[in-house]
Amino acid sequence: MRIRPYVEFAKRAFSREGTYRTQVFTHIGSVLLRVFLLSMVWTALYRNNGEQAGITLPAMITYATLALLLDLIYGVNGAYVIREKIREGSIAIDLMRPISVPFYVLADTVGQTLFASMQIIPALGLSLFIVHLDAPATLGAAFAFLVAVLLGFVVNFFLDLIMATITFWTMEIFGVQLMVQFISSLLSGSLVPLYFFPPGIIQQLAFASPFAAIYNAPLSIYIGKVTGLQIVTTLGTQVVWAFVFGVVALGLWRLGERQVVIQGG
Amino acid sequence: MIIRAEHLTKTFRTRRRGDGVMGTLTSLFSRAYDDKLAVRDVSFDLEPGELVGYIGPNGAGKSTTIKMLTGILVPTSGECSVNGIVPWQNRTQNGKQIGVVFGQRTQLYWDLPLKESFELLRAIYGIPADVYERNMAEFTKVLALDEFIRTPVRQLSLGQRMRGDFAAALLHNPPVVFLDEPTIGLDVVAKEAIREFIARTNRERGTTFILTTHDLNDVEKLCDRIIIIDHGQKLYDGRIEAIKRRYGRQRILVAEIDGFCADCEIPIPGVRKLSQAGARVSFEFDRERVSADELIVALAKQYELKDVTISEPELEAIIREIYLKGLGVDAPVAEALT
Repeated sequence: MRIRPYVEFAKRAFSREGTYRTQVFTHIGSVLLRVFLLSMVWTALYRNNGEQAGITLPAMITYATLALLLDLIYGVNGAYVIREKIREGSIAIDLMRPISVPFYVLADTVGQTLFASMQIIPALGLSLFIVHLDAPATLGAAFAFLVAVLLGFVVNFFLDLIMATITFWTMEIFGVQLMVQFISSLLSGSLVPLYFFPPGIIQQLAFASPFAAIYNAPLSIYIGKVTGLQIVTTLGTQVVWAFVFGVVALGLWRLGERQVVIQGG
Repeated sequence: MIIRAEHLTKTFRTRRRGDGVMGTLTSLFSRAYDDKLAVRDVSFDLEPGELVGYIGPNGAGKSTTIKMLTGILVPTSGECSVNGIVPWQNRTQNGKQIGVVFGQRTQLYWDLPLKESFELLRAIYGIPADVYERNMAEFTKVLALDEFIRTPVRQLSLGQRMRGDFAAALLHNPPVVFLDEPTIGLDVVAKEAIREFIARTNRERGTTFILTTHDLNDVEKLCDRIIIIDHGQKLYDGRIEAIKRRYGRQRILVAEIDGFCADCEIPIPGVRKLSQAGARVSFEFDRERVSADELIVALAKQYELKDVTISEPELEAIIREIYLKGLGVDAPVAEALT
């Protein structure tokens, strides 16, 4: 596979995002607002209930704030465009080109995500005026955190791609999408750390679920809930989920491509 | 041959939906399907350098055929190949050797200036620098792209956009190009420019074209050969001249008669008076039964003729008849006409 077209796709996506300037400001603004609100909520909860599951209040606020910053890049959902393309039939044009459409979408998402990550810098800087953030546990943890974010991105992308590919079979997937989003936000640890789940089977399931690979893995490493050898197994689990979702997404795409019904003309 | 379709068949399967609330509810659980035969046993061959009109009424199966040849749709049965490649088995390989122009949707990148779309296509198709430069220079000149090459595609007029789309489709020197209603919505001047560009590319580069259109002027000006399909089946495959000879039997003769004639009639079998407006009288005659000569002689005997014009049947009128009534002959006979 020639890599050049995909580099170009990513570059174009990056500069395309740059043209929507107001969107950048509203994005950052909404993140800051949520950082503020969540820090209030957690502070109030901690005041009444004390420390939970071995996570201190500063660690919790760090966790919640970083989760919101990660939202900026995980929330890109570049695969969404596939749904539009299938619905209005312009997928035909992409399918006629000598390219792999899933990888084209991946490249486009990478471009968009790189642009979105640039928003993280001002968003992080401004957040520091609102809340105190703990530094990563160790330098090693900081590095592992970045790797885990990257792997979380891959898992998240393939999950989005799977959802979008289902459009080949049923044009309306809004309900399913909502459900998956709800389950994902609960089980990924983006809202509440999985450590707060009642210990037992539910917590075990949450930790084992692929969604945990998205937010829980990097954030647990950052706040030092996962250390030493556990970091390796956490990253390893992410790799496994990235691989499984990747295989499922590409397999599903192959099947979908075979029975594509082009809308219109 | 460069394009081959053999017994190409495509069936679409759609979920049956009931009417109203109850219908919607039952269709949620029922597994009833409707099969629609979009293309039925269509076969044809194209030689390199041919420019063939592929025509038929709306819903005839034209686009479905094109989509099978471009590798987007998998045939339900039958086979096809483009330049030796089976499109659906090897979509990416096939993609490199075909160009496509859709009148109804653009392949240019909406947000980008035209020039950037070309640059992106250059990367997608891996076009060598010299080929790219040469083609850009030629297309810029022939299609007058200069005036709007820096404009974002969404701000282009339809005529400009189509010129951009043509350049985009041919940038990688594809031996085969599919045109799907390339002149739809264009004004007369833009249509003519596009037709000229197609003819020129076909002539100078030997590019094979399949042209799908509803504007039969496109076909008449560009193609020697047409394939007509309707209800998914091939009705006719042959030269335009042949179909005109065979089906265009009725001609129109308009005579201007000196002096008044209240009710001009010509009592020859095969001749029918169509209309009369003052001294201008129109007759329709069957070329097989009456020659134009005979008709004029008969007219001249009775009246003083000032002027006579005979009009050839328009392809459009013939095709309209075929769409409405079918060929009126069996398929093998139609085949033999070619």
